Amino acid sequence: MPNDIPVHARERLKGLRTAAHSTGVFTSDFSVNEFLLVRKAGFEPIGLCMGTCVYHVGYQFGSWSRNQEMEVLSRAMYHARELAMARMRAEATAMNADGIVGVKLTIKRLEWDEHLLEFIAIGTGVVHGEGHKGFRAHDGGPFTSDLSGQDFWSLLHSGYRPVEMVMGSCVYHVAHRGMLAGLASAGRNVELENFTSAMYEAREIAVDRMQAEAQAAQAEGVVGVDIHEGSHVWKPHVIEFFAIGTAVVPLAQEILPEKIADPMLVLSVND
Amino acid sequence: MVGEPPVPAGHEARVADIQAALRAGRVPSATLARLEATRDGRMPWVATLTPAELLSVRSHGLRPLAAIAATCWMHYGWSWTEGHAQGWNAALARLKEEAKAVGANAVLDVKMRTIPLGIENSMDFTLIGTAARVEGMPPSNDPIVATVPALEFVKLLEADIVPTGIAVGAQYDWLNDWAGNTNQIYAGNVETTVLSQFWERIRQRAHAELRRNAAGQGNGVLAHVNFGQLFRIEANDQKQFLGRQIVVATTVDTPRRGKAAGGPWDIGPKAGPAIPHDIGIVVDMHAGGTPLTGRARHHQSYGSNERDGAI
Repeated sequence: MPNDIPVHARERLKGLRTAAHSTGVFTSDFSVNEFLLVRKAGFEPIGLCMGTCVYHVGYQFGSWSRNQEMEVLSRAMYHARELAMARMRAEATAMNADGIVGVKLTIKRLEWDEHLLEFIAIGTGVVHGEGHKGFRAHDGGPFTSDLSGQDFWSLLHSGYRPVEMVMGSCVYHVAHRGMLAGLASAGRNVELENFTSAMYEAREIAVDRMQAEAQAAQAEGVVGVDIHEGSHVWKPHVIEFFAIGTAVVPLAQEILPEKIADPMLVLSVND
Repeated sequence: MVGEPPVPAGHEARVADIQAALRAGRVPSATLARLEATRDGRMPWVATLTPAELLSVRSHGLRPLAAIAATCWMHYGWSWTEGHAQGWNAALARLKEEAKAVGANAVLDVKMRTIPLGIENSMDFTLIGTAARVEGMPPSNDPIVATVPALEFVKLLEADIVPTGIAVGAQYDWLNDWAGNTNQIYAGNVETTVLSQFWERIRQRAHAELRRNAAGQGNGVLAHVNFGQLFRIEANDQKQFLGRQIVVATTVDTPRRGKAAGGPWDIGPKAGPAIPHDIGIVVDMHAGGTPLTGRARHHQSYGSNERDGAI
């Protein structure tokens, strides 16, 4: 057997169990690369944290010819996600985790009732290997982040740490074309200004809410932001704009610029 | 809650403001206020970049400022095809206004999106990206728009290639085959010349328009969407064909190497600009796409064209 395999790994290969984890087991949904890089960043996974919430999304009817936010639905989509995330975070707190990485937030339709949605948040709770508590969120609880293990390592190496997953939702009813636009525009390419402005207003509301959350978490910025549009259980013309990202703050002790690894250009021969 | 919802406070005024601002080529007030607060550091910055991109962007002095977006929703009364050029160009102009408002030099990671609301005879053209400032440079009056992810942007910059914007060529034509020239009489192998020529004309016109549109923005393009459709439409016992071709490309600006630099065939290591670090060749064992290959779906407006092998 080659000598550069660590003693511990060699013992395991011989069939001996580790005593490092008190319960003997940790759980995570890490890939191999994620696992290696989270440990390289100085953290140990301790357990999968999960929160779910089955939510009955209430009714709201948009006025046929008007653009407007469906505030009841916006609140529902936001509240349900928040409940799932809070439950996940409570699990992490219970296992004394410093943070949760790789959070996946998903929504499932339950087929027997079109108004029921299941929200699931799942991620891996991690602790700092040397018990450093400086990585916790602004409220002293575990940080949350939808960054993968690779992203987590990269983020720390670019001088930031994650604080909180921040999000903003806006469910919006886009007016039907009852505004004479159809007649007036026959035969010409024209912009449908009422639709364009609907997109602007809805997106602005969602991004603004996300940014306000980041501000409340005392973050310097938000990385990995995605603004996506989805139609979950609603009729056509109703759409959700959902902005989500990880709020970050600079590390208390910033990595010296010369210590940040020089990026290496790589030409992949795979494609 | 059942029934007509109350109109949220400020909604009417906000929509009126958005429409007036877009008509005048300005950024809507609410967005402008948020972008200015972000520019001045009163609000957190927002970036669509991944942490790995954040790292390399920092190493190259690019500061992410704000996630910005622009939309133009077009109704096709005249031409579906040409509407694409109009729609993207309008969205592009609006995106640049937002970039200017936040004091940016460049917009990175610009994605072309179409919001899936099936509304007849219309389509929306949406651009989403991250406005960034180059440290030590004054804000730009004409920010560049890079459709590539931040890592590729940095990679291009190092090679002295600046991605500058988006160029579109969109052309269509009808072919009325009253004489039956496209009828297949001979059962063997034979070219349908009429259709070949028809198709080729449209494509050439689309590419010529792409060149014209690109000329104002840079001196080259990297075409990433080549979307073509040919339809046969039968009405009143007459055969008609509709062909449409849409080409969308990232424009780039790069100094040309002349003969003096070693001639067009000299691609020795001294020919290109000096890249300040080694280039390694790796076999990437990661099964999925990596950020460097940029294979994550970046644009989804022309998804059905993917199997044609877009560049």
